[in-house]
Amino acid sequence: MAQTNNATLIRREIITRLCKLYIENRLEDIDRIALEMAPRNTTPVSGNRCCIHKSRAIIKYRVMALLGFNVSDETDELESLYSYALRALSHKEPEKGVLTVVDEACTSCVKSNYVVSNLCRGCLASHCMVTCPRNAITMEHGQARIDPLKCVGCGLCKDACPYHAIIYMPIPCEESCPVKAIYRNAEGVEEIDYDKCIHCGRCMVACPFGAVMYRSQIINVLHDISRPNRQVVAMLAPAISGQFKATYPQIATAVKKLGFTDVFEVAAGAVATARDEAHELKEVLEQGQQFMTTSCCPAFVELTEKQLTGLKPYVSHTPSPMRYTADIVRQQYPDASVVFIGPCVAKQAEARRYPGIDYVMTFEELGALMIAMNIDLQTFEATEQEEVIAERKFAFSNGVLNSVTDYYDGPSLNPLVISGLHKKNIASLRRITTGKHDWNMIEVMACEGGCLAGPAGISSPEVARKLFNAQSGVQAEHPLINEMKQK
Amino acid sequence: MKQMVEVSICYGTLCFVMGGSAFETMGEKLPDDLKNKVSIQGMNCPGYCNSQEYGRPPFVKVNNRLIAEANLNKVIESIRKEVEHGTNQ
Repeated sequence: MAQTNNATLIRREIITRLCKLYIENRLEDIDRIALEMAPRNTTPVSGNRCCIHKSRAIIKYRVMALLGFNVSDETDELESLYSYALRALSHKEPEKGVLTVVDEACTSCVKSNYVVSNLCRGCLASHCMVTCPRNAITMEHGQARIDPLKCVGCGLCKDACPYHAIIYMPIPCEESCPVKAIYRNAEGVEEIDYDKCIHCGRCMVACPFGAVMYRSQIINVLHDISRPNRQVVAMLAPAISGQFKATYPQIATAVKKLGFTDVFEVAAGAVATARDEAHELKEVLEQGQQFMTTSCCPAFVELTEKQLTGLKPYVSHTPSPMRYTADIVRQQYPDASVVFIGPCVAKQAEARRYPGIDYVMTFEELGALMIAMNIDLQTFEATEQEEVIAERKFAFSNGVLNSVTDYYDGPSLNPLVISGLHKKNIASLRRITTGKHDWNMIEVMACEGGCLAGPAGISSPEVARKLFNAQSGVQAEHPLINEMKQK
Repeated sequence: MKQMVEVSICYGTLCFVMGGSAFETMGEKLPDDLKNKVSIQGMNCPGYCNSQEYGRPPFVKVNNRLIAEANLNKVIESIRKEVEHGTNQ
């Protein structure tokens, strides 16, 4: 899902600037980021932004999110970013919600999904007015007008217009959210319902204004790295091999250069996940349970906790590769700060629940940190032979199922792969809960194609897949998507 | 025989992270009529990113023309110009 567009690039630029200020010990200049990125006498980057003052305000709130705050938690508009930065350094923010809406950047979408275009002839019949069940349409200056406060979005007017003059305008974040967790509040600004949100990151990728951001923990990671005698260990998610033009050993060397004490591959923990999940699968199937699902995708697990609660008992109890890897790290570095680095937004929500993991960073933050520290992967020698862990397969759809099957010796399997938690697949999962099917093993990943397509990756899913196949020593197959068979 | 248009993509980490990764699939995305006229290679970071006078990353060179804020469309357009009115034919 990661895309390279201006919204993404601005986020990366801000992360880079933030890292640079911290590293150069100039955090007190943090309030200047907005001035430097939107200097006086320039036109705003986006034509939709009225002036540089608005652009600056938006940048300020983006920095606030990247300091780990929820933008809507602001109480004093005059509080400086420097003050937020000091607050961020003094404590961890454990409250709920990883995604936050930069309200200054939002509000640009339509007030109602149905809009009368200038093709409207203001016809005598006025089918639209007659059809509207809420009397939301009036004729003004010879054209129909929809009152957004009355419109309920049924779309009957659009179908009624003989001139096709009424169009449907989607609100990208709402359209992309598979669980209806993002909605317009009374002020017309999008708000996230954290009791519903599964942190899949779709809204963040979908918003053309970059108004949805993840709350970063990078400042805390940098702070721990800078503390004397503090060990900070990085754990790199299996999808890492598709992120840069570099082999795993090159990346690991670079990560150490950033100041991390040691680097572990999460694929190592995935070995334990695959093995234990295979044993668990055999056990539950022999006990007569109809099916089991994988548990490594945190957005899917949240889905079964918040929406599809009927599916929860079928989710494997085996810990995710991140948790197993953290256990391995703790054996060697019991007092270290443990940082998971991956393409995922939901992983931060998962990590907050387990004391073994201190922070979660994204791949794009890793890239931005390399830029801030002038580290160029191209200058690192490609080391000779590397040990390829087969469980790097966890990075793509089908791969987890494959890995589990490698350790499995129970009753014969009839597996299903669900690749991407969009609305249609969630409907499929809802039907699966009813039990009217033959599947006994179900792999679920929230992103289409798996973690290689994560929302906070560096490359597009297509590029990530290509690089992964060239560099990881493992081949990502195209997932075998079975059609739902009803019994 | 006409010379190939040489496309050099900066493989530096900065360019790659700031949008250069998109060029990984450029070979496949070239229009058919240009496919045999282009040689694509990577270059180590020449340092354009250190000075604002060159513009913003990612950087790509098409023959001797430097393209800042490069994207696939810009590069393909530039290749086409070189093919049609190039200096080194």
